[in-house]
Amino acid sequence: MKLLILALKNITRHRLRSLLTMAGVAAGMFLFTAVETTQHSLAKVTQASADDTTLIVYRENRFCPATSRLPEHYLPTIRRIEGVREVIPIQIAVNNCGASLDVITFRGVPAEDLRKYNPDLVVIAGSYENWIKRSDAALVGETFAQRRGLKIGDKFEAVGINVHVAGIIKSKESQDNNVAYVHLPFLQQASNIGLGTVTQFNVKVASSDLLDPIAKAIDETFRSDSQPTVTRPEKAFFAETAKQMIELIDFTRWLGLGAVAAVLGLVANAVLLIVRARVKETAILQTLGFSRLQIASLVSFEGILLGLLGGAIGVISAYLFFHWQSFTLGNEGLTLAITPSPTILLKGLLVALLLGLLASLYPAWRTSRQPVVQSLSQ
Amino acid sequence: MFITIRNLTKSFKKGPNLITPLQNLSLEAPRGEFLALMGPSGSGKTTLLNLIAGIDSPTSGDLMIDDHDVARLSRAQLTKWRSRHVGYIFQLYHLVPILSAFENVELPLLLMPLSRSERRARADAALDLVGLSDRAQHRPPELSGGQEQRVAIARAIVHDPELLVADEPTGDLDGESARSILALLTSLSQDHGKTIVMVTHDPKAAAVANRVLHLEKGQLVNPPATPASAVS
Ligand SMILES: Nc1ncnc2c1ncn2[C@@H]1O[C@H](COP(=O)(O)OP(=O)(O)OP(=O)(O)O)[C@@H](O)[C@H]1O
Ligand SMILES: [Mg+2]
Repeated sequence: MKLLILALKNITRHRLRSLLTMAGVAAGMFLFTAVETTQHSLAKVTQASADDTTLIVYRENRFCPATSRLPEHYLPTIRRIEGVREVIPIQIAVNNCGASLDVITFRGVPAEDLRKYNPDLVVIAGSYENWIKRSDAALVGETFAQRRGLKIGDKFEAVGINVHVAGIIKSKESQDNNVAYVHLPFLQQASNIGLGTVTQFNVKVASSDLLDPIAKAIDETFRSDSQPTVTRPEKAFFAETAKQMIELIDFTRWLGLGAVAAVLGLVANAVLLIVRARVKETAILQTLGFSRLQIASLVSFEGILLGLLGGAIGVISAYLFFHWQSFTLGNEGLTLAITPSPTILLKGLLVALLLGLLASLYPAWRTSRQPVVQSLSQ
Repeated sequence: MFITIRNLTKSFKKGPNLITPLQNLSLEAPRGEFLALMGPSGSGKTTLLNLIAGIDSPTSGDLMIDDHDVARLSRAQLTKWRSRHVGYIFQLYHLVPILSAFENVELPLLLMPLSRSERRARADAALDLVGLSDRAQHRPPELSGGQEQRVAIARAIVHDPELLVADEPTGDLDGESARSILALLTSLSQDHGKTIVMVTHDPKAAAVANRVLHLEKGQLVNPPATPASAVS
């Protein structure tokens, strides 16, 4: 504790140098946190977990919402399959079918079914009833609204479709926060698909271990039909269709690793400079009776403080950055929202602390072994 | 005897050569004595002082201080022993520049199991003893050389060691400041019973000691003159 205070005083000694080091650490840890946040967000939408219960039924051999067409009348057939809890037919209209940074997704659904399909949906502004009443009304996901600056009563146009914002919604399912829900017949007409045709069905099953058997059962049912289907869990669907984007994001892990290496080098260099400039002073402390362990701790504390203070600035600003600035990557109607998480925040701080420690281990060890008498007479 | 030194030898390897700054040196000093150590440059004064202070270990010979077999202590044991029993005063004070006078004096106390208020009381008392209570919050750059050395002395005595060693403590000071430092050391030996070993080049400084030892080529030699006549 006393050593920690002494270390804190020590790093204020060369204020500019310490600040520059911390600025570098902050930049590195910002990058690290940004990469981690992206990876984490991606894992959330692509890696299967035990509470996944959503299947997507798509037209076989079609990989874009614009070309997947299924007859709406499959609905009762799917609903009758054992283990299916809820089904909703969805017509999707997107501004860009491939990977895109500013994806706009309309989901046309039967107005009366949306709440039944997803009871977790919370209307945080406007009202559900107004949406039901008005045929060109849209329920806009929170993130979508934030990104576009939309308020209740606004009109907006995208993909050639004009809608009126009747409500803003929030949901546990991240996809819901990135789309605009409109009435199915309205979207079918507006996008010239025609009534009776939808892009996909979303199916909720009773439990995650039913995902595969039910997917098989659905595809089996329509196999010899004119429009055969292919059914996959939502996350697997995303992982498969967004392969390129995922590969790209996967590559960023090297950037994160590079950032970590840069921080390590930066702090190690700073700590080495510190101890080199202080050989004599360390010898004085040794003369006063500071033990090797205490001398080494003092040096390590300085490294840890540099890492942790700089790291905190970088990690927290990355957290706030992703909090205020919403980033979404879209692909084929599914969106990946990059959202900060407290876990990543803690992880970043821990990494910064460990880097500080790691960077100062060697200088600390060397300093604690310096010969007192020769160091005094330097 | 407080200090007992027998056949003390210290040698260093310097490349292929063996340098022996101290050779078979023997010396005794009772508790409370104020010893001055004189001799030409390179005669081994600092080397001897460092051995007595326990920041270096002899190559051979015995070194007992207050019944501690200092020559046989390991490095870690020496470190611990120093922190309790030795106060070291340097020619160039060697205060930590970013710490206030008070914090500098407090440093040795950080190694002891003391509460904050106990540390405060002790550091205040030490600063008071050297007459610098009013400068406690000043940093070394804001102090004169004489004041810095007095802070350094406060730091050397704050943990109440029996032994003080000083390597040319007045070597960098003007006459006036030097006199006040010497008066302080005299009082520490006379009034507080500290045993002091002081290296000096200045006969006037040596004159305040109880005894003056002369070192030449690593060995004690008979004094060419008494301290009193050296002053005149
Ligand atoms: N660590 C060391 N390695 C090698 N030689 C050393 C070492 N320390 C001291 N010496 C040598 O030992 C001799 C005595 O040195 P010491 O510092 O004890 O002299 P001194 O009497 O204090 O001199 P001065 O009055 O100049 O301070 C010198 O020749 C010095 O070069
Ligand atoms: Mg010397």
